[in-house]
Amino acid sequence: MKFMGKIWPRLYIAIAIVFFVAPLLSMARFAFQRIPVISLGKDNLFKRWTIDGLLTTLRDPEFLHSLSVSLKVAFFTVLVLLFLMVPTTLWVHLSAPRWRGVVETVTILPYVVPPIALVVGVSGTYRSIAPWFLASNYSLVPFYAILAMPFTFRSLDVGIKALDLRTLVDAAKSLGASSGRVMWNVLLPNLRTSLINAAFLTITVVLGEFTIASLLLKRTLPMYMAQAQGSEPQGALGLGLLILVLTTILFTLVSIIRKKDSKSINVKNINVGMVP
Amino acid sequence: MSALEFVNVSKSFGDVNALNNFTIALEQGELVSLLGPSGCGKTTALRIAAGFETADTGSILLGSTNIISLPAHQRRIGMVFQSYSLFPHLNIRDNVAFGLKVRGVPGDVRKKRAEEMLDLVRLSDLGHRMPHQISGGQQQRVALARALATEPHVLLLDEPLSALDAKIRVEVRDEIRRLNRDLGVTTMFVTHDQDEAMSISDRICVMNNGVIEQIGSPRDVYNNPATSFVAHFVGSINSLPKGNTRVLIRPENLVLATHDESAQWRGAITDITFVGAFTKISIVLDNDNSSVSVLAISTQIDHNIAIGKNIGINEEIR
Repeated sequence: MKFMGKIWPRLYIAIAIVFFVAPLLSMARFAFQRIPVISLGKDNLFKRWTIDGLLTTLRDPEFLHSLSVSLKVAFFTVLVLLFLMVPTTLWVHLSAPRWRGVVETVTILPYVVPPIALVVGVSGTYRSIAPWFLASNYSLVPFYAILAMPFTFRSLDVGIKALDLRTLVDAAKSLGASSGRVMWNVLLPNLRTSLINAAFLTITVVLGEFTIASLLLKRTLPMYMAQAQGSEPQGALGLGLLILVLTTILFTLVSIIRKKDSKSINVKNINVGMVP
Repeated sequence: MSALEFVNVSKSFGDVNALNNFTIALEQGELVSLLGPSGCGKTTALRIAAGFETADTGSILLGSTNIISLPAHQRRIGMVFQSYSLFPHLNIRDNVAFGLKVRGVPGDVRKKRAEEMLDLVRLSDLGHRMPHQISGGQQQRVALARALATEPHVLLLDEPLSALDAKIRVEVRDEIRRLNRDLGVTTMFVTHDQDEAMSISDRICVMNNGVIEQIGSPRDVYNNPATSFVAHFVGSINSLPKGNTRVLIRPENLVLATHDESAQWRGAITDITFVGAFTKISIVLDNDNSSVSVLAISTQIDHNIAIGKNIGINEEIR
């Protein structure tokens, strides 16, 4: 029984690894082996590997353009979200705890409202009052801000809960710090991990979002990748893998910072729920 | 002129009257404890003085200035909290220097001052540590140093010892008393622990339901309680029948006697609790069924004193 008890968890982990890794390996073989898909087998596992397809894609001006659009949109989405959500979350915790439930419910609305409904509703409104706005790439920012709202709120909420916010604010004030000083010298440094978390999660949302961009006909990175799959499939898949690896590295870094920070505020589980 | 004065300060939270015409004056350098059960309004009074709550009516005088409408950060009132509240992202020295930094004191001056303050609380070798790397007692001493670094007019302490374990609690308590005496800083100390209030205060202000029951020296409050609430809240007390009325007598003012006509009260021993130098003997009175406790010196307890035995009680004549 003891032996079986040890076997099961390992078996499950092995199944999980195969489930996640097998498609990625297949993807890598398709993207980086210059062998027709039909002939890919175990005999030629180590033959004719190349990153030429990926390099062609990386050199494509269309790719560079779509990457720059996505990064700019991501940057402004992060700015807008933090500007809106940091004061809101602090306010909810400091002055209006009764409203926390309401704010939380509002922030998870993007999961309830399908993107198509969001785009049709909101773009309908903009089309009649500010048509120029929809023409700009930055018209994606408000949509993405809404989509990333749950991550930002949760990340900040968890970070604030881990602090004894009320007392820290009172302590800082009694030491002579004005509200601005409290925000700048006490709250933001202590919420650093949450802010970084929120920012990275927002960036990944923006870099992965397809539906809204395609409905609004914006040339973002996901749109480019979807189209490139037709013309340069190897490069597109290679790019997909590259992005995956980069985001994994990014999140590993975030979790290292998180561990370092959570030690200093003596809290262990500052985890951001990916799904509500 | 008093250092800090509350004049008719009242505050309600909805239907609850947290503070009702609260009036007290603290002399320069004095340490006054606000003592009372939870919900008696003591913390509300402190938070109003600090500027974290607004009073409905009344004024707070710092010297001759009414500070009631001044925001917290302009009051120059230092505060120490139950939960230490050190800034987790700053090391100990920077925590102590925080108040000076936000006041625009130059870096080298505030560093020197922070070192002096850490010296004062005997933690000068911990300046480079982070708050989570030091013990609770040390954190609270840092919090004291931090609050005192800006030379506040008044120091407010909100149950600063409650989160500490017994031995450390006494150490930090003595530290607070020493700092109060050495620096002459007027101090208001909130606690629900009567022993703490007794041992640290120049005067104690006993509060209940938002009103002051008595203000006096610890000895005064203990020996001459102004109200039945004070008598019961500060120290333990027995209510004994005497003729048609009842008298309140402290356990240490009763002595054991033989169970006969000469004893003022008679009863049976129900419990004996050894507490070191003293032993607490619980007795149920014969004709009254009320429970009485007597504090006797442990070395004077003999084999006649055992659970179930009959015993007499007399009021000690001094």
